[in-house]
Amino acid sequence: MVNSKAEALGIIFPNSYDSLVPELVSERLMASIPFASRYRMCDFIISSMVHSGIDNISLIVRKNYHSLLDHLGSGREWDLVRKNGGLNIVPPFAQKQVKIFAGRIEALESIRGYLNKQSEKYVILSDANIAVNFDFNELLDAHIKSGADVTMVYRKQPIPETLIRQSTSSEDLYYSLGINGDRVSKIYINPTEDGEMNFSLNIYVVERELLIKMIDDAYLRGYTYFVRDVLDRQIDNLDIRGYCYEGYVAHIHDTKSYFEENMKLLQEENLNALFSGDQIYTKIRDDNPTRYIVGAKAKNVMVADGCVIEGEVENSVLFRGVHIGKGAKVKNCVLMQDTVIGENASVEYVITDKNVTITSNKSLTGNDSYQVYVAKGQIV
Amino acid sequence: MAKELVAMLLAGGQGSRLYALTQKLAKPAVPFGGKYRIIDFPLSNCVNSGIDTVGILTQYQPFVLNEYIGNGQPWDLDRLYGGVHVLPPYQKASGSDWYKGTANAIYQNIAFIERYDPQYVIILSGDQICKQDYSDFLEFHKQKNAEFSVAVMEVPWEEASRFGLMVADEDDRITEFQEKPKEPKSNLASMGIYIFNWDILKKYLVEDEADPNSENDFGNNIIPNLLRDNRRMYAYHFNGYWKDVGTIPSLWEANMEVLDPEHSGIDLFDENWKIYSRNSGMTGHRIGENAIVENSMITDGCNIKGTVKHSILFAGVTVEEGAVVEDAVVMGGSVIKSGAEVKHCIVAENATIEENAKVGEKPEGEGVGEVATIAAGVTIGAGAKVGPNAMVYDDVKEGEEKW
Repeated sequence: MVNSKAEALGIIFPNSYDSLVPELVSERLMASIPFASRYRMCDFIISSMVHSGIDNISLIVRKNYHSLLDHLGSGREWDLVRKNGGLNIVPPFAQKQVKIFAGRIEALESIRGYLNKQSEKYVILSDANIAVNFDFNELLDAHIKSGADVTMVYRKQPIPETLIRQSTSSEDLYYSLGINGDRVSKIYINPTEDGEMNFSLNIYVVERELLIKMIDDAYLRGYTYFVRDVLDRQIDNLDIRGYCYEGYVAHIHDTKSYFEENMKLLQEENLNALFSGDQIYTKIRDDNPTRYIVGAKAKNVMVADGCVIEGEVENSVLFRGVHIGKGAKVKNCVLMQDTVIGENASVEYVITDKNVTITSNKSLTGNDSYQVYVAKGQIV
Repeated sequence: MAKELVAMLLAGGQGSRLYALTQKLAKPAVPFGGKYRIIDFPLSNCVNSGIDTVGILTQYQPFVLNEYIGNGQPWDLDRLYGGVHVLPPYQKASGSDWYKGTANAIYQNIAFIERYDPQYVIILSGDQICKQDYSDFLEFHKQKNAEFSVAVMEVPWEEASRFGLMVADEDDRITEFQEKPKEPKSNLASMGIYIFNWDILKKYLVEDEADPNSENDFGNNIIPNLLRDNRRMYAYHFNGYWKDVGTIPSLWEANMEVLDPEHSGIDLFDENWKIYSRNSGMTGHRIGENAIVENSMITDGCNIKGTVKHSILFAGVTVEEGAVVEDAVVMGGSVIKSGAEVKHCIVAENATIEENAKVGEKPEGEGVGEVATIAAGVTIGAGAKVGPNAMVYDDVKEGEEKW
């Protein structure tokens, strides 16, 4: 291939870890959670793939995917309107007994026919609960060079507390890796130890034909989880390598981490780490520039277009079309699209979902360790 | 399938009185209002009025404009039949010619218009800031059973002699046309926006082309000829916001008016009449810990650590700590370094104002006064000073003064 087209196709699981953020996904899924003032979570992995020359990307959705369809549309804003490849959103196939897939095995089995027909040699699998500016070319090169069957991406970090707390109840599994050289020698399922671990980012590279074989085999045996039921069982037979990612990662695993990861981007070094690479694409809304009216005060904030600021705002992340009324005070908040803060209202440590209205003179306060969350469309 | 109405947008103008801003781009491509270019206004008006076929006539420095328009997708003008087409002068079997005048530009594209077999053609100007519903204008044209209609604005009588004026009777039928007359008989200024019945327009274009003494201009030739033949010509009154941003002070002023939509009448926040543009795709803007932002418009990609008052900042502008930006229009990607003062001026794209440099000055008294202008890509050296009416085309060295 000339130019930049990669020898891989991408498969994204947009519903992974939905169970960790029940409020945020009550009307959407993990991949369409708004993040960093004007993006949705899936923008990061999709844009990264596109910039790495991957232009054949499938998203296998499970439920609550209206918002994702609305966001991605034809995929034009990610440069994914293609005759060959492009964007492919796969909803569950409705049968007499509609059975929604539980794990990656069933999800992949549902697109087996499609996988079979593709020409790319490799498949890159990923979730959408992380915001990264990831160089998939580098990963693919490492995978090819090592001659491995499977490459798993991990990051050296402690296991998030929420995961540990829910380790016996959540339907979404998480993993850490035992690494020997660059071989993955052990896969720990829902580990609960403290301290730095080789925490799996759930990004995998595998040869397409091998993947099909693995799924067929696992599906016949009634297996559910790709890592637990396929990779871990065959860890001695397969050549599984680890790939340590050292770049910036915003990892969403509960409402608090959602708040904190947004807030972290107010620090310039974090913002630059996430965004100074290739552009992250997102849906265009054609908002006008943000207007700061006489009397407005802004300090340490990240603000998208389309906002009107008449009051005071500090240490906050504002998404598109937010209106802060006269005399209102906003501090340490994440305000999603089209939130309206009425005159003289005061909000602190609050997350408002889309189209929330806080009426005039109301006061709403959370704190550093617990943020008040106001659901989509609510009027307080 | 015929189109009822095709729009032809005149975008070949050099905009020579915008000097430093139009060295490398045509006037319709000049940035405006924080994230737009002037041409976004007529294009968005077209789409919002239901017009889906637009020919853009380009001639002067077309590259920026061509790239910006692209396939027309940001304005929803990427259509299977119709859509937006950029029409530069081209070579024909009989030879080739630059567009000699506004009428000649349309004449040379008669074949383009005929592809759509329209009933009406609307001629638009690519260098005005205006939100206008052209469908309402067309409705008027049909109601009057007109052959030609022109959009007019009432202007103060004392300023009337600066405009092309339409003298009309009580039924709005035009009886006379005066081009910048000393003694105006009317205060209805032509906005340079016309609707023609296509058969009439074509007839007069062909006739005009055959006249070797013609300047091939709508105002100077076509309209007088229509009057001569006593055609059914009507004046359509428009009373919304309209500004011909032909000069640096008027461009600056129009930008400042965006900051005060309640009084100026130019509301970019109108959900029902969105102005579309090609977006920068940058992240949300950042306002730092010690920044002061007052009465300003700021867009994606900006990073503000200094003071910004009563200004318009385009995508990706950096204002460092200790820098002051006041009454200024700062276009995309420019950097205002620490200690620099940028006041009452226009800074074009990707310029750098180094530390402690001073650009422009607030004029004494009322009125717009002089507006300093820095061309795109220019660097103003540390400690340099640029006077209030300077037009800076090239880098200014450290410590130098430029008046």
